[in-house]
Amino acid sequence: VIVEQLVDRAMEEAQGAQASVVQKDLTEVSFENDVVKSAESSQSTEIKVRVVVGGRIGTSHSTDIHDLDGVVARALEVAEFGALCTFEFPGHQAGTAVKVYDRAVVPVTKSELIQVGQEMKGLIKAYDTDAIVRGGMDKAIAKREFANSGGVNFANESTFFGAWILGQRVRGSDIFEAWHGFACKKRAIDHVAIARQTVEMLRMGENIAPIHSGRMPVIFTPIAMDVLLLSLRLGLDGKHVFTKYSPLAGRLGEQMADSRFSLTENPLIDYAALSSMYDDEGVPRRIVPLIENGVVRSFLHDLDSAGRAGTQSTGHGEGRNPTNLIIKPGDTPYEEMVKSIGEGLLVYYVMGLGQGNPVSGEFSVGVRVGYKIENGEVVGRVKDVMLSGNVYDALTDIVAISDGAEWARGWYSGAFPHIQVGELNVVTH
Amino acid sequence: MRERMEKALRASDAEYTDIRIEDVTSSWINFGGRDLDDIGISKTVGGIVRALVKGGWGYAKFNDLSNLEQRVKDACQSARLVSREKSHFASVEPVVDEAIAALEKDFRAIPLAQKKAVLEEYHRIMLGYHAKIQSSSVRYGDSFRKIWYANSDGTYIVDEQPDISGYVGANVRDGDNTQTAFKYLGGVTGFQVVEGLHSEVAAIAQRAVDLLTAPQVTGGKYTVILNPEFAGSFIHEAFGHLSEADHIHENEQMRKLMQLGRRIGSDVLNVIDDGTMPGQRGTHRYDCEGVKTQKTYLIQDGILAGRLHSRESAARMNEQPTGNARAVGYHLPPITRMTNTYIDKGNATFEDMIKDVKLGIYAVDNIGGSTSGGAFTFSAAYAYMIRDGQIGELVRDVVLTGNAFETLMNIDMLSAHVDWGPGGMCGWNQHFPLPVGMSGPHVRIHNVIVGGKQ
Repeated sequence: VIVEQLVDRAMEEAQGAQASVVQKDLTEVSFENDVVKSAESSQSTEIKVRVVVGGRIGTSHSTDIHDLDGVVARALEVAEFGALCTFEFPGHQAGTAVKVYDRAVVPVTKSELIQVGQEMKGLIKAYDTDAIVRGGMDKAIAKREFANSGGVNFANESTFFGAWILGQRVRGSDIFEAWHGFACKKRAIDHVAIARQTVEMLRMGENIAPIHSGRMPVIFTPIAMDVLLLSLRLGLDGKHVFTKYSPLAGRLGEQMADSRFSLTENPLIDYAALSSMYDDEGVPRRIVPLIENGVVRSFLHDLDSAGRAGTQSTGHGEGRNPTNLIIKPGDTPYEEMVKSIGEGLLVYYVMGLGQGNPVSGEFSVGVRVGYKIENGEVVGRVKDVMLSGNVYDALTDIVAISDGAEWARGWYSGAFPHIQVGELNVVTH
Repeated sequence: MRERMEKALRASDAEYTDIRIEDVTSSWINFGGRDLDDIGISKTVGGIVRALVKGGWGYAKFNDLSNLEQRVKDACQSARLVSREKSHFASVEPVVDEAIAALEKDFRAIPLAQKKAVLEEYHRIMLGYHAKIQSSSVRYGDSFRKIWYANSDGTYIVDEQPDISGYVGANVRDGDNTQTAFKYLGGVTGFQVVEGLHSEVAAIAQRAVDLLTAPQVTGGKYTVILNPEFAGSFIHEAFGHLSEADHIHENEQMRKLMQLGRRIGSDVLNVIDDGTMPGQRGTHRYDCEGVKTQKTYLIQDGILAGRLHSRESAARMNEQPTGNARAVGYHLPPITRMTNTYIDKGNATFEDMIKDVKLGIYAVDNIGGSTSGGAFTFSAAYAYMIRDGQIGELVRDVVLTGNAFETLMNIDMLSAHVDWGPGGMCGWNQHFPLPVGMSGPHVRIHNVIVGGKQ
């Protein structure tokens, strides 16, 4: 009801208005240096108002539920010299139902979260008593209300549950950290599998494997997919396409990647971390094929970028952020991929992503967790290694895509296979 | 407010409790592409209660200020749940103080329309500069943060923290080749820090155009000279984070690695964190636990000399609190963070530093960096080759990587002047963005790995 009040007040002076209120209760515990370090309860309120006055947009945010007049007044004030509005707030459109609320999350207590953490820690310690464990477990319940002057009006509740665990090993001046985590809208996440994945990364990293500089094959594991996805996300951004900043501008329908590479946006997967029925502008979410068999099929649009580009929102308001990204698996078993490599790199985590010039596809990142493949086997982790190349070149140089996908949550969330790229540049001492 | 907070604190049965409430008004103006992208004002009010029971922390965070006592009780209940041992928490003298921000040009008094006009001039200069400039990105944000802090020791502090941050960048494209040139803006002294930058903006536009034809750097190992802004970013990322005692105090192996008195850099190297410097981004009178800020030597003549403490980490390591418990906002508890961190000046001239370098790189300004333990990666906004003691051609995509412990030993020359730039926003996991100062002189380092084309 608050959102309707906000829209009504705004419409006394505005020609269009949109309001959202998100009330969230979050419970979190964290582990540091092997012990439960803290527990917290957090109550938050987020109010957003967007208005159109005289063809210009004004936005305002607040956290104060008692300041409804203020938040509307500030949005109206901003609109006087805001950006030109090139869209209309949409009317109600039927959306596709997707499950985002799991009742089992609601009664989870802090003690239960601590228990989850203790079990994960136990698995890391069982592998290596000297490993130092950090981690976090959290759950949240969010109530969201949305209304606009076009007649959209909805409220929904969603849940969230997540856990991650990290093992750190320090030997002399060598520090190695491996971690894994998962989050979704359902209570039933497999925290044992999360810890096992972390243990596996520690196990594979027992030895440091020397590697020399040069061009070599690289396997991106699902969690490393951020490296490829960052440039794609920027390139597929409808606003960057419209301003021709994106290298994909004007290339709709063109082949830009290996024909086995398909990338789809799917916000309608039950309980997935970023699923929702409507976006933050009241537009129904839908499945959007972005790249199909290597061909560019669609860009990401919100109301604003769609208005400027003269097209329709793809349900990525506000900000054109992707939801759950899905890369189509291929037909090569992961083990075959590793076996096929004489000398190469298996990448999990990188650092420094986004520095440089990511929109161009260029990347140059430090490998934080990565392993050397030698004669078809993973022989140890690499240290002080940089990986560089160009995402667009890499996507046309795909050697194999693994036959299974795993959910990964880094900068981007989704289900990704392993992708083997023919040659990238590795630099080391 | 004092009465409300002190009354709520009396509801606590924890060993130590504090409440931090913040009222933040911020405005932002973003030009992106060819047009105004986003403009807005936000006002947030929120708070956090921290309670300490037997070494375990309970937190309660809230936007709704109406029932502070209940928040205190919630935090105590959480703390009891994770309590386990004796608490370690350094005592400090309670203070009652009020710090009022002194702004040369108070940005709160400047109408948004006037701020927009200044930024729009830069945006127009960028777009009109060259046909290959596809879009410009001019971003501005200011925030005025008023903080009320009270703890169970009897400390009550009211603080005001203004901050301006911004970015001016040009995006150019020629076929598939896209490049960006930019500069960060920022300051705490008033709106004048973003005024009068017209010629700098034109220089950025020119550099973007130049980068289109600049070759990618050839990967390999080089002698690298960092300019002061890059040196600040380097020391912040590669070493500064290792000095944050939160990450070492409960970790036996890290303690060994960061043992005071250990040689960690070459003789010429002095590194300082100083939260008291007037007019810098990381300056405050008190940290977020009511501890006075100070000047702390982290490295003195190449020897590890100190580290950055909160009250907890100081007690655990039997050292003194340094006033480095900082929080990005009410939604997060403070952790040990840097304030203004810099490499102290040496005595060389730039000409001395460059003249015997046969093949090297002069790396200018930072794009960003990140660290993992001792390993770091960071990027230059742009760079020049050094060939036979002379500055050579502009090169792009210069990314440096290495291990802090090795790299600090490889510093052999420092220029005679520390040049403070705009500082920046520091992130540590979700603790982002925190304004910090970062600087240094020109710094010469041998044997640095540079990523790039083979």
